[in-house]
Amino acid sequence: MSHEVDREGPGHGADREGPSHEVDREEATIMDYRGSIPVWRHLRYRHRRLIRRSILYVGIAFVTLLILLPVLWMLTSAVRPVGDVITRNPSLVPSTVTVEHFADLFFDSRFPIYLRNTVIVTAGVVLLSTTCATLGGYGLTRIDVPYKRTFARGVLFTYMFPPILLAIPMYILWSNIGMINTHLGLILAITARVLPFSLWLMWKFFLNVPYSLEESAQMAGATRFQAFKDIALPIAKPGIIAVAILAFAFAWGDYTMALVLMTDLDMFVITTGIEASFFAGGQIDWGLVLAGCAVALIPPLLFVYFLQKYYVHGMSAGGAP
Amino acid sequence: MIDVETVMPISRARRDRLYEFLSQRRMMIGFTVLPVVLLFTLILAFPILWAVAASFHDIHAFDPEWHWVGLENYVHYLFDDRVFWHSLWLSASFAAVSVAIHVVVGTAVALLLNHTFPFKKFVSAVLFLPFLIPTAILGFGITYMMNSTFGIVNWTLVDLGIMETTRGWFGNPDTALYVVAAVNSWKFYALVTIMVYARLQSIPSEHYETAKIMGANAWERFRDITLPNLKGVLFLVVLLDTIWMFFKFDIIWILTGEGPSYSTRISVIYAYQVAFQRTALGDAAAISVLLFVIVGAGALTYFYVLEPAEEVRAE
Repeated sequence: MSHEVDREGPGHGADREGPSHEVDREEATIMDYRGSIPVWRHLRYRHRRLIRRSILYVGIAFVTLLILLPVLWMLTSAVRPVGDVITRNPSLVPSTVTVEHFADLFFDSRFPIYLRNTVIVTAGVVLLSTTCATLGGYGLTRIDVPYKRTFARGVLFTYMFPPILLAIPMYILWSNIGMINTHLGLILAITARVLPFSLWLMWKFFLNVPYSLEESAQMAGATRFQAFKDIALPIAKPGIIAVAILAFAFAWGDYTMALVLMTDLDMFVITTGIEASFFAGGQIDWGLVLAGCAVALIPPLLFVYFLQKYYVHGMSAGGAP
Repeated sequence: MIDVETVMPISRARRDRLYEFLSQRRMMIGFTVLPVVLLFTLILAFPILWAVAASFHDIHAFDPEWHWVGLENYVHYLFDDRVFWHSLWLSASFAAVSVAIHVVVGTAVALLLNHTFPFKKFVSAVLFLPFLIPTAILGFGITYMMNSTFGIVNWTLVDLGIMETTRGWFGNPDTALYVVAAVNSWKFYALVTIMVYARLQSIPSEHYETAKIMGANAWERFRDITLPNLKGVLFLVVLLDTIWMFFKFDIIWILTGEGPSYSTRISVIYAYQVAFQRTALGDAAAISVLLFVIVGAGALTYFYVLEPAEEVRAE
């Protein structure tokens, strides 16, 4: 019933006591309808569409600006002269563009060391976790290993184990075996954060790749390994890219693990390094902070522009750096 | 009979033998599943078990000796430590406010994105961007932009007439935690948006067309088609998001630390302080295990009460 109320057809919901009903029902037209029509329905389709569209556009523009402006503000502030960085009434577009903060950052601060550490650790995490997740995901879907379901559930369960709570036992363990302040120690720690989800993602991905493709390759004479290498891997490429981006995002932006496991200033990564070097002693060097942030923002900006579909695919299954 | 060696170059024959060798079941397991299992044991299972063992000891960072204290650490935090219970309450408030913002804003944005409009590729790139931005970098940027003397946020709000004067956003003990939650939502709403958006795209448009022909209005189409389809993904996202936000550390630590009059000392920050400022590692391990048990119990209850069904299956 409720579906019919709003229709413009004659007769429905009309006031039965109204005079219009003396008109023969067979000849009734829309003009005879005396029921209450919502204001919205009085508008022409064109106008209704216009209003609907403008609400949509305003909403989208609002959210987009809310996300875009802070990022733009951080990026543009990094190229403002010192006096403009902490001014009360800055212009939206910087009046003078300067690279002095970047010059200071790269030639006159410890930032290059932090950047080097971050790059090493990120490369390690991406390689280790992507390789293991791809191979493991394949093995768990294609080979009948005992207890594999229990294992997969266990892996997923550890995904809920939060980084800081994982960092504390790792600190205890790593300090016992001398892995504090090593790249390998941090690589393993971040991989522990990335691996559960990447493995799950690759597992689901290989489930959607039909095994019959590999079987027919094997019928045609390929060995099982060749079927894996030449059939399954190429098809899994989008999944592998998604997992790699995810690993990159975790490793590049890691703060918690590095804060706990890297205690020597020469082993800090960009996030902890910016905080340790430029926020120190109550005197915050905003130019350097913003320049450092701008450098850290480059990969996310590139990824979201060039690899959006892979990244969205990975995230839509629930990955969070 | 043709001699294989004359037809095939030797290197190729050797390669084929290698492939055959690798194709044995044992070898396939060896190079696919085994690395993951080993890595998992080394970096996840072992540290977690290590933490459980440590929680029964008194350990200090610079003293290699572990002193067995049995359940003492647990008893202390469960019954004698009001700070711990208060920090739990703060964690729960932070998680509740965060998840509420994420779900409402995230779903709304996903519904907006599900329309067609100009520059869609650019807009969706922008809307998904925050999720890739490192949380620490967001923290530094916000510290800059929300500064009480020169921050752009303050002055914009003053110029627009929304506020009388600038304010220190993170200095008020009553609101600091929620301001942090709001800032954090700038990034994490995107988790909900991405997951909901992916689900929305998989709803066949015929469903909407049919409903339209049958006379359903926009609200009825939303209520009877969109919402039931989103139920599963929302159950899942609420579960994951609650767990993550309950354990959120980095953004709070960067923006407020323990906060004005300890108002943002949520339980993971408390655990961190116990571990690295009081250097009582055994105590910190006990807090970690307690937190994990509490949240694990909550998650299991959620699972069995609401049964988010097939969306959450591991395979």
